[in-house]
Amino acid sequence: MTGATTVSLAQAWIALRADDPDAVSALLVARASLGAGRALAELRRWRLIELAGSRLDRDAIAGHLHGSTQFYNPHKEHCVVRVTDADPLPAPGLAYAVVWERDGDRRAAAERWWRHETGETVEVHEAHVWGAAFAPGTAADVAMDELVRVRDARHGLLCNPWSQASATGPRQLPWIGAPGGER
Amino acid sequence: MTARIAVLQLPGVNCETETAWAIERAGLAAEVFRWTRPARELRDFQGYVLPGGFSYQDRVRAGALAAKSPLVEVVAEESERGKPVLGICNGAQVLVEAGLVPGGGGVELALARNRMERRTGYYARWIRVRVEPSPCVFTHALEPGRVLPLPMAHGEGRFTGAPGRMAALVRAGQAPLRYCDAAGGVATAFPDLPNGAEESAAAVCNARGNVLAIMPHPERALERGTVARSIRGAWHGPLRGGPTASGPGAVLFAGLQRHLVEA
Repeated sequence: MTGATTVSLAQAWIALRADDPDAVSALLVARASLGAGRALAELRRWRLIELAGSRLDRDAIAGHLHGSTQFYNPHKEHCVVRVTDADPLPAPGLAYAVVWERDGDRRAAAERWWRHETGETVEVHEAHVWGAAFAPGTAADVAMDELVRVRDARHGLLCNPWSQASATGPRQLPWIGAPGGER
Repeated sequence: MTARIAVLQLPGVNCETETAWAIERAGLAAEVFRWTRPARELRDFQGYVLPGGFSYQDRVRAGALAAKSPLVEVVAEESERGKPVLGICNGAQVLVEAGLVPGGGGVELALARNRMERRTGYYARWIRVRVEPSPCVFTHALEPGRVLPLPMAHGEGRFTGAPGRMAALVRAGQAPLRYCDAAGGVATAFPDLPNGAEESAAAVCNARGNVLAIMPHPERALERGTVARSIRGAWHGPLRGGPTASGPGAVLFAGLQRHLVEA
């Protein structure tokens, strides 16, 4: 996609430049406590922001995300913008899960900022994406499901289904509120 | 012999000192038990309190990592033997994420982000809770309907679960404290209901009543003089006994002491 093409939905994948403490801790706890965690080779985390309704092109969106304090701090985080399903994921080859707060994923302040700066009315949603690699021979999608949804002390970690929703496996844009999860 | 209560200090917990003092004030022996000690040593205690704070920096989700810790695993085992367990604020989040409340093995509830009128995030104020009929060992000596002013301070304190689950817990007496208004009526709206908790639950216990998860902070209301003037109600007045006389939060620790003496 060229920079001049307008988009209706943009994804911003935001990660710390340093190791992510949540991901490091979750990896250690999962390996120590969960059956699905024993095969975990790697666990990474991103903040995922989805911006729906903008008529700006990719470069302009990326510029606004970079220039505002509403979305990320470029001094300590980096951001990858995706606007189509064909855009590469930040870390290909991982099994992904997206987790968001039920009826609490909207970012009202960010929406106000966007309207003030661009005149556009957009929806801004925020979630977390977890990316995991498992030992060879592991059914990654099954293991990821086991890792995500909390059932009891020995099963699940990343999503408490009574306050959060999640979706795993391949999907098309948007990811937040996608089929397989709930809003 | 004075019963010994372990106050679990996981990394990020920050209310262990005042919690230990609350226990001592109730006539029990309190010991801050840090995460660096072998978990098996917890078995020597007669009860457990998980204090407030931000265990493991609330990484992943408030209480989620602490719920998998070896210390909490031992506490879970000991609670099945009937030992009392109190989780306050972040401690309550840990008990919910570990499935100790409402009990039964699985995780059935969440403490979700506050839902408030024209606000988001962390919220701190004095609120009122009403005592409900319950088998809870911390409250069962209190007269149902009694109103206690307590401070709350949290961002994720909204008890929620599957549709109808919280209502069933209320019917079963497993919501021993509910947010209420000045007249003692169950709170229905902000700010009397400070976080949108289903069924206005401020605390949930297990069916046996020996494990209690409470979001407000009783350890911050041990003395009458600490109670906010705006909310004192029956605790208002000439401060009989002076400002250091027992405050509304002390009754829960007194309930723990009474239970251990009777046990």
